[in-house]
Amino acid sequence: MSMTETPKKPLRPTPKPKRSSNLTPKHSPSSILSFAPETPASLRRSSRRIASIVNPKTPQKPPVQDKFIVEDAVTKTPKSVKKPSRRKASSIEASPISAPVSPDVSEPKRRKRSKDVKLEKKEKKKRVYYKKVVYDGGEFEIGDDVYVKRREDASSDDEDPEEEECRICFNAGETIMIECDDCLGGFHLKCLKPPLKEVPEGDWICRFCHGRKSGKKVELPMPPGKKLSRTAKEKLLSSDLWAVRMESLWKEPDGTYWFRGRWYIIPEETAAGRQPHNLRRELYRTNDFADVEMESVLRHCSVMSPKEFSKATNGGDDVFLCEYEYDVHWHSFKRLAEIDNEKEDDKDSDSDEEWECHKDLSSDTDGDLDLEEESLKGSANVQLPTHQLAANSRKGQIYGLQKIGTKKIPDHVRCRKQTVLEKAQATLLLATLPKHLPCRNKEMDDIAAFIKGAICDDQCLGRCLYIHGVPGTGKTMTVLSVMRNLRSEFDAGSIKPYCFIEINGLKLASPESIYKVIYEAISGHRVGWRKALQLLNERFSDDNKLGKEDNRPCVLLIDELDLLVTRNQSVLYNILDWPTKPHSKLVVIGIANTMDLPEKLLPRISSRMGMQRLCFGPYNYQQLQEIISSRLKGIDAFEKQAVEFASRKVAAISGDARRALEICRRAAEVADYRLKKLSSLPDFASAGKPLVSMADVEAAIQEMFQAPHIQVMKRCSRLSKIFLTAMVHELYRTGMGETTFEKLAVTLSRLCASNGEAFPGWDTLLKVGCKLGECRIIICEAGAKHRLQKLQLNFPSDDVAFALKDSPELPWLAKFL
Amino acid sequence: MDGKQTPAIEALTHLRSKICNRNSIFSFSSDAPDSNYNKLKFIVSNSVTEACNNSVLLLGSRGCGQVEVLDLVLEDLKAEYPEIISVVRLDGVLHSDDNCAIKEIAKQLCSENQLLFSKMASSDDNTQFMMAVLREYGLAHKTVVFILDEFDLFAQGKQRLLYSLLDAMQSVSSQAVVIGMSCRLDADQLLEKRVRSRFSHRKLLFLPSSKEDILRLLKHILTLPEDSMFPRDYVITFNKKLHNMFEEAKFKEILDTLLDADSSVHHVLNFLFVAVCNMNLESGYLSVENFKTALLSIQRPYKLDSLQGCSVLELYILACMKRLEDKEQNSYNFNSVMTEYKHIHDSYRISDYYARNVSLRAFEHLLQRELISFGDSRGQNQSIEFRPVKLLISSHELLQGLKLYRSCPALLQKLMTGELNKMKAHLVDVEMID
Repeated sequence: MSMTETPKKPLRPTPKPKRSSNLTPKHSPSSILSFAPETPASLRRSSRRIASIVNPKTPQKPPVQDKFIVEDAVTKTPKSVKKPSRRKASSIEASPISAPVSPDVSEPKRRKRSKDVKLEKKEKKKRVYYKKVVYDGGEFEIGDDVYVKRREDASSDDEDPEEEECRICFNAGETIMIECDDCLGGFHLKCLKPPLKEVPEGDWICRFCHGRKSGKKVELPMPPGKKLSRTAKEKLLSSDLWAVRMESLWKEPDGTYWFRGRWYIIPEETAAGRQPHNLRRELYRTNDFADVEMESVLRHCSVMSPKEFSKATNGGDDVFLCEYEYDVHWHSFKRLAEIDNEKEDDKDSDSDEEWECHKDLSSDTDGDLDLEEESLKGSANVQLPTHQLAANSRKGQIYGLQKIGTKKIPDHVRCRKQTVLEKAQATLLLATLPKHLPCRNKEMDDIAAFIKGAICDDQCLGRCLYIHGVPGTGKTMTVLSVMRNLRSEFDAGSIKPYCFIEINGLKLASPESIYKVIYEAISGHRVGWRKALQLLNERFSDDNKLGKEDNRPCVLLIDELDLLVTRNQSVLYNILDWPTKPHSKLVVIGIANTMDLPEKLLPRISSRMGMQRLCFGPYNYQQLQEIISSRLKGIDAFEKQAVEFASRKVAAISGDARRALEICRRAAEVADYRLKKLSSLPDFASAGKPLVSMADVEAAIQEMFQAPHIQVMKRCSRLSKIFLTAMVHELYRTGMGETTFEKLAVTLSRLCASNGEAFPGWDTLLKVGCKLGECRIIICEAGAKHRLQKLQLNFPSDDVAFALKDSPELPWLAKFL
Repeated sequence: MDGKQTPAIEALTHLRSKICNRNSIFSFSSDAPDSNYNKLKFIVSNSVTEACNNSVLLLGSRGCGQVEVLDLVLEDLKAEYPEIISVVRLDGVLHSDDNCAIKEIAKQLCSENQLLFSKMASSDDNTQFMMAVLREYGLAHKTVVFILDEFDLFAQGKQRLLYSLLDAMQSVSSQAVVIGMSCRLDADQLLEKRVRSRFSHRKLLFLPSSKEDILRLLKHILTLPEDSMFPRDYVITFNKKLHNMFEEAKFKEILDTLLDADSSVHHVLNFLFVAVCNMNLESGYLSVENFKTALLSIQRPYKLDSLQGCSVLELYILACMKRLEDKEQNSYNFNSVMTEYKHIHDSYRISDYYARNVSLRAFEHLLQRELISFGDSRGQNQSIEFRPVKLLISSHELLQGLKLYRSCPALLQKLMTGELNKMKAHLVDVEMID
């Protein structure tokens, strides 16, 4: 299925029985699935959380506090949520961790608050969901990472030094401190012995850790008089504090503020323990959720992806790195899919995000967002089916994928520095999308203008665009990048919502199933294709229907359009007919390889499709060179001529960018292989610069374009060589390409007789012939036809002559070639 | 005597198991830096460590060890990177249908990850599942290796499977390796344009071994290890005799004949197995004779053999067909053959003349032995007598076979050679005298 799965959630045909939103890990799949591992034996998290929720039976309404400021509130009606049974009972004043009431609340905030109260009165016993909450002087938003207190009674938690102290002089001070990469302790530059002038490049380890590593017993200096105060970071890393990511925020009817959080976990708490490659500030995101009251929030911290982390220079002390997700049930790791703008090639998550945008929009208007959906939103992969479901069937919704994960993050992923050649190979991968597409600016502008013209008008007229070009000229990629740009414009708010459906003709089970896919993408329901066709016809032709979502313009991208051509071409006709209907608001973009596809079709189709066309010509060598070098920017791995050579070669043959990239990647691989093999030998240790040379590119091109038959002919058995020679001889003698086995055997026996070679016998000869036929050096019929078997050379006789002319074992062959 | 027999039997089992363990045989010749083993290992391990997608074709005629080398590579890599490599194996003969192949992929991925597999899932679902799994694998730093045996058979039809696989590999950030194996050298030319453009065109060519390599391999396989449970003096004599035999001209000749026909490793191994099985347990040592009989049994003249099992009537029928062909009568059926048979009978007064129905049985028998066949597939519902047939044995072989036939009537042989004209003249003379 090729469509981007835009509306993912509505696929569920019937709303499942309400899953209580304060879901604890104890109700996790393990208890339901018979084949789940029995691992989550009383996860620390859950026990702690329950501990933090004291005295569940006496719900007390906390006093109205002026410190709540609510922005962007959305009210929702939970359909069957029971009131949370466990409620934090201790009133906020009473709790020892209660934050001081912020005295300075401005007047407008008060008013806002009162509005909120009214709202609450109107809709009693309803949870109010927020996107952002100002609580205790801090702004908390969905997606924020916060510290959560672990124990309520821990007095040590009270102190929370924002500023880290120097490990030697125990003063915070304004002067620059350096952080030890091992123990994360801070040191003033001047306190070190010997003092450092500036922060050194690369890793730095303090002398205490250094000493500890070399086996000595080191005594850390103790602060004079007072206890060593620990920062929140240190507490977190020694599991006295927890970090959590807010997934949703709401206010209970009784006025307490809660959020649903997703725990972070420190490496020590995983089943694999701390792995050698773990960084000190590394955390894992788990798939373990819990509802936590806002009370226990300490303050913000920031958990970043490695990319952000490396960029964050002045992040302060509360910066953590998170690259992996940890599955608490299966104890497995998985890299975090970067849902945000970073990974643009990530289609699924892309469309997921898009869907959420739409959803948010619609929730603005009608505000009837199902609570269940809300709670599932963040926990897409914690699906809790009522019974065991097959992973690959639709009903299962690809259930159980969380099982796929490594038990341990392999060392090679993190501990190795990539060489220049390896970096080059990585950037040349087809899967790595470049930041921008060189050489297709004009086409991009055309497509963008076309789509915008179609969807931005108030009166959205259906349109149709046919894009053609040989494979590897960036057709699909260009359209997709236009759509990405469009989406960012949509996110910025400059254009109206639209929906985008991508379908690949070659990935459909049958041409008719395209209806099914389109309908599913638009409405989220799965029906048979006939029904889908009928519904789509209604949708696109009916003009008085004005559903809210239906009104969005729809951009339909059909890749490999030629696969949809059926005998009576009705599929294509239907699809291309919808845009012509007055209120369809459908834009169809078809992509195929052949230039004259519309002409090959029935006139009624070509008149609908052939109006607007866009041709993607093959790249010429400058463009290919630009594409390659734009990817290789900053990596000095290729000789300049090598890239030019590769691009000229490809441009001369096909102009296929994929080919050019693959050749360069292969060349880098060849060079890499050569270097690695050579460096394993001691005397070549320092041989050559790691640079891809012309010879490597040549080797890659040879491998890609040269047929291997000459090599095989050179190395094949003696009788096969004589056989081939006899074929050539027969060809020259009769002038006919085709011969029969009988004739050939006679010729061969004569050749053998005149050159003192023993005739091997017909059966052996037949076997030899069939073996050659298997490799397609010759084309032959089945061996059962024996003497009537027809034979023909599959390659020009010159190739045979070239391969066999100077074979050392059979010098006489040259006479007959 | 007894003390000698036991090591002989043990040696036999040892050698047999050595020959049958093909992976170890191919590991013997995989040390060279430019060996296919090392190249393939480099490509696959690159994909494992660098998180990239690759597609490789292993080309080469049958019996050159594509599968064995690949197995070796995967075995080694699995040991090197435990738990992060999954292998999905497909065979073109079994899974050339796209839907069936996708289903099989889903099934194998499910069982690899202990997921529940549903037979009822549609191919859409399976494709989606495959994509999702590929993505998850990429996120978990795991690698999937798709092995497509008989790759050329996947290139039939619309090549949906190859397209989805290769397209997934360039769009999803997964780490997968598609390894195609084919004996067709032009396998990559069979791909459709858009599929070929997505294929990364790494090709490894598996060539038949050279004679020197084979000889080295023979020594490696047949030599008994010195430090084993065999009696030491037995091992020493065994190996010494073996080395002497390798030097013999007769042995070299046998080996040459074998390699002339087919120098692939599998062929040699089959030959060796037969030879080792022929080993005389009395003496307990391999001899040239063992190899000679093995060669004879592995290069049997099948057509001649099947002629030996024919009855005289069947030989007559073959001879008649041969005569018809000599008369340049290209299309003939049972009836015309019978006419010719009758003609011969009349003119040469042969003693064995059989009734028509008996002849028809003989004719059918010949059809079953594939000494003759129907000329074309048309007229399937016609009765056998009227369907045109073709002779599937060359005149040369027929003649040879008749000579070897134990009780071949002299007339039959003469019919085949040019002597029959003389005889006919003679007969005419006799008639004239009468």
